Amino acid sequence: MSKDPAAAAVPAKNGMKRRSRVMVLFTLPVVLLYSAFFMVPMLLGVYYSLTNWTGIAKTYKFIGLKNYSTVLQDKRFWNAIFFNFKYTICLVIGVLVLSLLIALALNQLGKSSTVFRTIYFIPAVLSLVTVGLIWNELFLRAFPPVGKALGIGFLSTSLLGNPATAMFGILIVNLWQGCATPTVLFVAGLQSVPKDLYEAATIDGANAWQKFKNITIPFLIPIVTMLVITTTKGGLTIFDYIQAMTAGGPAQATEAIGILIYRHAMSEGKFAQSIAESMLLFVIVAIVSFGTIKLTNNKQVGED
Amino acid sequence: MRLSVGGKVLKVLSYVFLVTGALIILFPFFVTIITSLKTQQQSAESFFALPTSFYLGNFESVFQKAGYLTYFTNSVIITVTSVVCIFLLNPMCAYAISRNMHKKYYKAVYFYVLCGIFVPFQVIMVPLVKYLGTLHLTSQFGLIIMHVTFASSQAIFLLTNYIRSVPPDLEEAASIDGCSTFGSYWRVVLPLIKPMTMTIMVLNALWVWNDFQMPLIILNKDASTWTLPLFQYNFKSQYTYDYNMAFASYLVAMVPVLIVYVCAQKYIVAGLTQGAVKT
Repeated sequence: MSKDPAAAAVPAKNGMKRRSRVMVLFTLPVVLLYSAFFMVPMLLGVYYSLTNWTGIAKTYKFIGLKNYSTVLQDKRFWNAIFFNFKYTICLVIGVLVLSLLIALALNQLGKSSTVFRTIYFIPAVLSLVTVGLIWNELFLRAFPPVGKALGIGFLSTSLLGNPATAMFGILIVNLWQGCATPTVLFVAGLQSVPKDLYEAATIDGANAWQKFKNITIPFLIPIVTMLVITTTKGGLTIFDYIQAMTAGGPAQATEAIGILIYRHAMSEGKFAQSIAESMLLFVIVAIVSFGTIKLTNNKQVGED
Repeated sequence: MRLSVGGKVLKVLSYVFLVTGALIILFPFFVTIITSLKTQQQSAESFFALPTSFYLGNFESVFQKAGYLTYFTNSVIITVTSVVCIFLLNPMCAYAISRNMHKKYYKAVYFYVLCGIFVPFQVIMVPLVKYLGTLHLTSQFGLIIMHVTFASSQAIFLLTNYIRSVPPDLEEAASIDGCSTFGSYWRVVLPLIKPMTMTIMVLNALWVWNDFQMPLIILNKDASTWTLPLFQYNFKSQYTYDYNMAFASYLVAMVPVLIVYVCAQKYIVAGLTQGAVKT
């Protein structure tokens, strides 16, 4: 607490040293945990994917890239990838359209929308497994009698029991739960648009659609970008719903890549091969996320 | 404020749309509640009819036969411990990084930890099973470690950027007044970044509580360690014949988190949406 700067200089220098040592200590727990339980398993995975380990056998050999070529020739793998892409495209479009519509409607009502906001957000806090199991029962027991009574063909049996419709069953559940957070984001985005912009546009004689297209949409683009990325990642790595509802069936119609990896590793003894699959999944997710960021960034520039 | 005819039509349309949507959201809850209060026979007679009497036998089975309380306690212990560890470790690390970004070590740490954001859990799922097995960590303790580790990437990213917007003047003043580095972090910085730590805790509490993939690969062998989602999944096959009991179990699994939602709605909505915006 010396007031003389010269006398304070020496302890201050010591203090700086101690301070920087403490700062390094601050980072250590996270760095160590992350290295030991994220990086090491990841690198082990890369190594295992180059061997022929079954996961149970005591010995295994290094076989190079053979697992990868096996995977790339495996029909089941491509079937899973195709499912994931189909599903992800439907999911992204569904989430964006539905949550934007809900947000626009909520925004129309202004303050009287509080009750609706509370209700629409409930699904976001629930476990995917519980939600999946409840809808499973609904598809099985609640809808078929209604479908039969109304004579709607596709509803008279469980959506999940038919290979042609099973994906849409899962999609419905995912949308029921997955629109909650995007809706809140869109509402916040809509409220961030300055009111005087709309007023100025009205004076200039713009109609509702023109105002929406030229004022609202540009303000929402950053939110759309982010939602496309997060939803894409969610769609490509979908697991919980499928494991709880169809376990990949019927007839591998909903066997997503996550399910395939889990099955190959846990019940089919194709341990090393399943890791090769997961490494390919990583590459796909990375490329797709990167591509989406690039694409949507360009669009934003074009809009401006 | 006067509305034009078009405005009124739009408002009515919005109402109709939102009410329909709300009914779709609430429908599964309605079915869950009525079915859990009926006997199998009553449900067989009419699936959608309201229960005529309060039959609590299904809940009794869930608590006594299925042992709901064990799984509930497991979930609480795992969630609380994970969130406390996440709270203790991540803001500290993010603080050190954001105040020393100009130094090589901290910059390297930042990007090293950030890599994790791009890696989905399924990528390390399979090697992780063997790895944790070798370390004898296929237990609740191992699960907590994994949750804490996996929360880091996002937490460090959000916190580092948030702390950079907090001017360092206050901590400097505190250290001139004789506060230690840890003291000024704990007493000055931590209170200042409370909004972001709250966000991270809410996000992770919900994630850990509802997580299914990690418990599935780490805890599935030992039934006494199951979390609620894992218990529900494993009892799926046993419930096929007694779906009234199944719905009772879904209801009791949802009630705790719904109560928290009702009490802390503001924080939960803010947490989930802020977390999404800033990633």
